[in-house]
Amino acid sequence: MRADAQYVMRVVEERGVRFVRLWFVDVVGALKSVAVPASELEAALLEGVGVDGSAIEANARGSERDVYAWPVPSTFQVLPWTSDHRTARMCCDLRTPDGAPFAGDSRQALCRVLDQAAELGLTLQVGCELEFFLFDEKQEPGRPPVPLDNGGYFDLTVQDVVSDFGRRAIEHLEQVGIPVTASHHEVAPSQHEIHLKHTDALAMADAITTFRIVLKEIARDLGLFATFMPKPLDGLSGSGMHLHLSAYEEDRNLFFGEGGDPFGPRGAQFLAGLLAHAGEMAAVSNQWVNSYKRLIAGMEAPTHVNWTRDGANALVRVPSGRPGREESARIELRSPDAAANPYLLFAMVLAAGMRGIERGYQLGPEAPAADGTPSLPGDLGEATELFNGSEFARDTLGDRLCDWYVASKRSEWDAYRATVTDFDRDRYLRWL
Amino acid sequence: MADAWIYSRDAGRGADMAAEVAELGYAPRIVAANGSLRPLDDQGPAGRPPDLAVVIGDEAVCGRLRDDEVFADVPILLAMLPEDLNGGGVPMTEELVISPFTAAELEARIARARRQLGAEEEEGVVKVGSLEVDLATYQVTVAGEAIDFAFKEYELLRFFVTHPGRVFSREALLNRVWGYDYYGGARTVDVHVRRLRAKLGNEGAARIKTVRGVGYRFDR
Repeated sequence: MRADAQYVMRVVEERGVRFVRLWFVDVVGALKSVAVPASELEAALLEGVGVDGSAIEANARGSERDVYAWPVPSTFQVLPWTSDHRTARMCCDLRTPDGAPFAGDSRQALCRVLDQAAELGLTLQVGCELEFFLFDEKQEPGRPPVPLDNGGYFDLTVQDVVSDFGRRAIEHLEQVGIPVTASHHEVAPSQHEIHLKHTDALAMADAITTFRIVLKEIARDLGLFATFMPKPLDGLSGSGMHLHLSAYEEDRNLFFGEGGDPFGPRGAQFLAGLLAHAGEMAAVSNQWVNSYKRLIAGMEAPTHVNWTRDGANALVRVPSGRPGREESARIELRSPDAAANPYLLFAMVLAAGMRGIERGYQLGPEAPAADGTPSLPGDLGEATELFNGSEFARDTLGDRLCDWYVASKRSEWDAYRATVTDFDRDRYLRWL
Repeated sequence: MADAWIYSRDAGRGADMAAEVAELGYAPRIVAANGSLRPLDDQGPAGRPPDLAVVIGDEAVCGRLRDDEVFADVPILLAMLPEDLNGGGVPMTEELVISPFTAAELEARIARARRQLGAEEEEGVVKVGSLEVDLATYQVTVAGEAIDFAFKEYELLRFFVTHPGRVFSREALLNRVWGYDYYGGARTVDVHVRRLRAKLGNEGAARIKTVRGVGYRFDR
């Protein structure tokens, strides 16, 4: 048994851990968990644990049944908020019975791209601003949720429960190895934002998955619920997952420019790749019907494929790093929303940047959205078909994962199109 | 098998020492006195140090090993002939073995060289302020409260608490804690230091000092 697996066994024994939750995600990034009692942990580490593969294809169920979850010992973490039952978690790789990677495994899809990047000497560091809304658990059915407070940007809230939530959130996240920086109100009432400090892409994807479950559990304890729905309320800004990306070639940050340039030449190619494939990526960065209600003009969310240094609405913002501080140089991708599958998203972001470098893409000029730049897909249907026909997406994620993903998204889009909404009735019922 | 590198300008004495340490279960390699601290035909991953360095007669080499952070954890044994000790100039910093010696003495001297590095603490409990690290059970507490670490976080903390007061570059920490074939760059170290600081709380966090432009130092 490897040293990290031995460490896991010993800690489980010393700390009296009773259950280890084996975590993996389906193709849309929804967390799945299988609890293994401590007595069966060794077997799980050595032989994997059988799970139902159809659970991973989200709502497109069917073909592959036999899948094994193999816990990754380096991700072992005791979960501090379960003190009475001493529970820990490990993230898993999913494999077929013969040990091959399962095609529907998002985490391994990201690992594959990370390996390709490593061959080029490239690593990706990701920092993340995650937004979410907090609502009272008790809501009137069929009505929009009522915001908790009316605190504006940076305002202190008067509600103790909200500050209690923030304190617990930071405490719990840091206890599980997710350092966070700030927590304040975004522009919408009831909306909050937490910055996850930058780390490597795989650790960040695991962290985001952990983050979402941690916040939901804390909220539930306080009689609230936390939602990462991209756009829960009309007329207010939605919840983004802004990514701060630093790409390193060996120890050189590609986004650290010299002599007044915002980034180096290969940083420009990386960014060009990101922009060139942003449309095909939309089905992953913005994977829900509701996602496209966030990507509208006037809400500080991007609508076009563009980059700027100072604009607030661009797809990619290039913050002016602190002079001479190479590690602070980064670009900020602003389209993804808080409910994206971070594994697939990071895989596509990195693969797009790598294409830009490998194929020598030319970066267009800095431009505000109005300046004739191409627009992002307007809805999930358009985004899904772009993704489906994308050689880039299929090359990055593999045909089978793409096919499952497309099936899941088409079924969501078809269900939406078949639904008569409040919008229809409010607008047409009496008028037409 | 543990590697022993033998630094010798004299091929014959080098070969004799190689035979002696081989008897003790080491895999000996002779490092020619060409100025390098590594064997000429070193096939191992870049930066990997041996488990033991035996320096024959040359105090200057001992000094260079001491100053090279890659060798931070390598016990150094200085082997001398009686005539090398002319005028009573006995080296004070290195563990010393003087020919002729028995296998038992050599083994004891190597154990003492290891002890100088604090390597004997492997099974003990290291206490630093309110922080306690039990090296045998992997359990860490701050003011009596258990802190739960992921494996690499624990490994990095263990390295820090067993090597206090010395500055290590990111590359050296990467080599010592992650191993020589790890890919991920020096940023990996920064990220794990950040996680350690977040988990340890203010007092513990303050002990892991960032030495700008160099690396990190853990203060007792």
